[in-house]
Amino acid sequence: MPVPKWFVVARNEYFIRTSSIRKIRPYFPYLVIGLLAVYVAFIAPAFVNLFIDEFIAFFLSQAAVAIVEIILFLIFFYFIIIPISNTLKEVQTGQQEIVLAAPIKPSDVLLGEFLGVMPFYAIAAVVIVGLFTAVLNPLGLDMVQIVMIIIIFIVTFFSALWIGTVIAAILRTKFGKTARGKDIGKALSLIIALPAIGLMYAIIGGGLLEALADPGTSGMVEAILGLLPSSWGAEVIISFASNPGNITAVGFETLTRFGGLVAFFVATLWLGAKAANRAYSLEPTTFISSRAKPDGVFYKTIKYLGGGGSFGTLLVSTFKGYSRRLQNLSYIAYAVGILVLVTIFFMHPEEPMDALLMGLLLFPLLAAFVASDVTLRGKDTLFIYRKTPSGVGRFVKARLVQGWLVVVPIAGGIAAVSTILIPQTTFISLLTYTGLVMLFVAAFVAFALGLFLLNPAFSDKSGNFILNIFIVPNVSLGLTLVPLLVFDLPALDSLSYVIIPLSWLLGIVFLYLGKRNLSRIE
Amino acid sequence: MKKVLIHTKGLSKYYGKGGEIKAVDKLDLEVYEGETFGLLGPNGAGKTTTVRLLNCIIKPTRGTATVNGYDILKEETEVKRVTGLLAESPGLYEKLSAYEFLEFMGALYDVPRDILPERIDDLLKLFGLHDRRDHLLEGYSRGMKQKVLIAAALIHDPPILFFDEPTSMLDPRAALMVKNLIKGLADRAGKTIFICSHILPIVEELCDRIGIINQGKLIALGTVDEIIAQTETKTLEEAFIAITGGVEEKELLAWREHRDAGA
Repeated sequence: MPVPKWFVVARNEYFIRTSSIRKIRPYFPYLVIGLLAVYVAFIAPAFVNLFIDEFIAFFLSQAAVAIVEIILFLIFFYFIIIPISNTLKEVQTGQQEIVLAAPIKPSDVLLGEFLGVMPFYAIAAVVIVGLFTAVLNPLGLDMVQIVMIIIIFIVTFFSALWIGTVIAAILRTKFGKTARGKDIGKALSLIIALPAIGLMYAIIGGGLLEALADPGTSGMVEAILGLLPSSWGAEVIISFASNPGNITAVGFETLTRFGGLVAFFVATLWLGAKAANRAYSLEPTTFISSRAKPDGVFYKTIKYLGGGGSFGTLLVSTFKGYSRRLQNLSYIAYAVGILVLVTIFFMHPEEPMDALLMGLLLFPLLAAFVASDVTLRGKDTLFIYRKTPSGVGRFVKARLVQGWLVVVPIAGGIAAVSTILIPQTTFISLLTYTGLVMLFVAAFVAFALGLFLLNPAFSDKSGNFILNIFIVPNVSLGLTLVPLLVFDLPALDSLSYVIIPLSWLLGIVFLYLGKRNLSRIE
Repeated sequence: MKKVLIHTKGLSKYYGKGGEIKAVDKLDLEVYEGETFGLLGPNGAGKTTTVRLLNCIIKPTRGTATVNGYDILKEETEVKRVTGLLAESPGLYEKLSAYEFLEFMGALYDVPRDILPERIDDLLKLFGLHDRRDHLLEGYSRGMKQKVLIAAALIHDPPILFFDEPTSMLDPRAALMVKNLIKGLADRAGKTIFICSHILPIVEELCDRIGIINQGKLIALGTVDEIIAQTETKTLEEAFIAITGGVEEKELLAWREHRDAGA
């Protein structure tokens, strides 16, 4: 009897995911199961024992339902967006032609892809479930209640993963057919994480947990999240915690919520299988390719700023190449989004220093994202400049000006708005602070550009990319904290006399080194 | 009388509003058993769309076709079982080894488990890849990847093989090997082979008959000699240009004329 096709696809998917550990692949499942068993039996209970009184008090508190609902919602949301984000980062449809030419139903491909990645998500699920059961166990829950809680987690997680897998497959097919679509995919892969980050910031710095202690607030959150299937399980878990060993006391609630969750899982499986034909198709969706419009006022101005001659043309071309890529715009949107979220949840108008410090940490991140484009398009682009007379110098200059034109106005705008929000701000202090931030961020564009040329990252998945993105804000952190903490200088003095001059020094040195390295890259 | 293995009748694939883009338009074609047939055409002529239609990867807007007697609209699974496809630019599973990839493809095509390992070994030996069977495909050269893809198309030993631009990305040595393999499959294994290409010498050397397709329409059909005779030209290249059109020689350096005039 032939092996079921979904199993063939699932095994293939599993092999792909474990290709980096091929030597230990036969023992990998036993190793993972063993480690998880140790975690569930010993580590999780030992960790919970440290805070057992707080945990029990929490599960019996007013806010418990709302908080567990939020936790389950966050996990549900992440299990949906992780497969989507992973797929969108690099949309590949080439393999579809091989699979579609074979005698296999699209629903089998979809099920296989889901089952192939499920073991890795199951590890995360076991870690979370292990912690919850360790917390609930001392309350005296019976075996039926514990088993039902485990089933609730499994059904919630795998519903979310299935939904994510189906949406990812549909988006892959939709976006994978054109270069523009792939660009949109990469842009979305970053942006879709922002809502979850916002919710996390609201919990960490926005006082959401404290607010949930208020019955009115927690009631409102419960009412909103109660509509989502992730919350149905949370209600059952809390009702078990309130009635340990007595499932009949909450029989109706258990039946409706638990039954609803299982019905939701079955419905998503059925709907996903129905959508499989749309998820695997090589039918072209469009024959319209993106067209460039004649240069308008904006590009004409940039060309003018570049001197109008061949350097002006080079600058405009660099700017077009950068700004027409949605992935680049998504980096800016992401960095600005983080800045806005930090401002909302972590800033306190009575402490203006917070805004200054956060700005000095996050604006360099924006500079790093913008500067990263210099090598992300591959060596071939760099070699074009190497081939042309004085190409390297003009290329670096054009990239620097383009980076300034993108980053400096954004940083200046955000700095101005956050300064205005501080009570009793004078016009002079607004201008001074905004101007200093613009000077600071301009230096960091030069530094980040030099760093990316010195340590080129030819892919956004490469270690060099992650390292450079990590280095830039941390250098800024060092430059900011040393004068403030060690020399105890006032914030504006630090910025004016130490941070900005040092940033420019770093920027000039790294830009020189980066430019020199560009001539040597092979 | 020769048995017809591929038969298209008014096969059409239209895209866009009202079907204004005719990727394939009313294609009537017969390919015989054991024949090597070449579909020739410029880029965007409709060659790949034709191959995708005949392999049930996409569905026709109008018309139909049979492959080994199976209807592409009603007997999709049977059509897929009797065909092997080397696509123009397929994505390999780069994180698999050659052996794992062929094992995956064999399982997809239901090759019995008791013969699959031996067949994979035989194919890897044939293509000179046996020593690297456990290396990940990401480390293979383009030619080696093409060999693995051809092995994948052969894994279930189908009677009909589709090769879409089989040598376009290969160096001369690898291209020669692929040409010899196609010849061997046709002459010694009796396979029916359908080649799509815009490389004229390949088609000229390998194919018993050719069809020329342009803007979705089949505009010439016959042996190479017949097509040259029909167009009153001397070579297939001249015949191809005569049928599909080309740039006049005097236009080739027109872009320099302004400078010459100014000099």
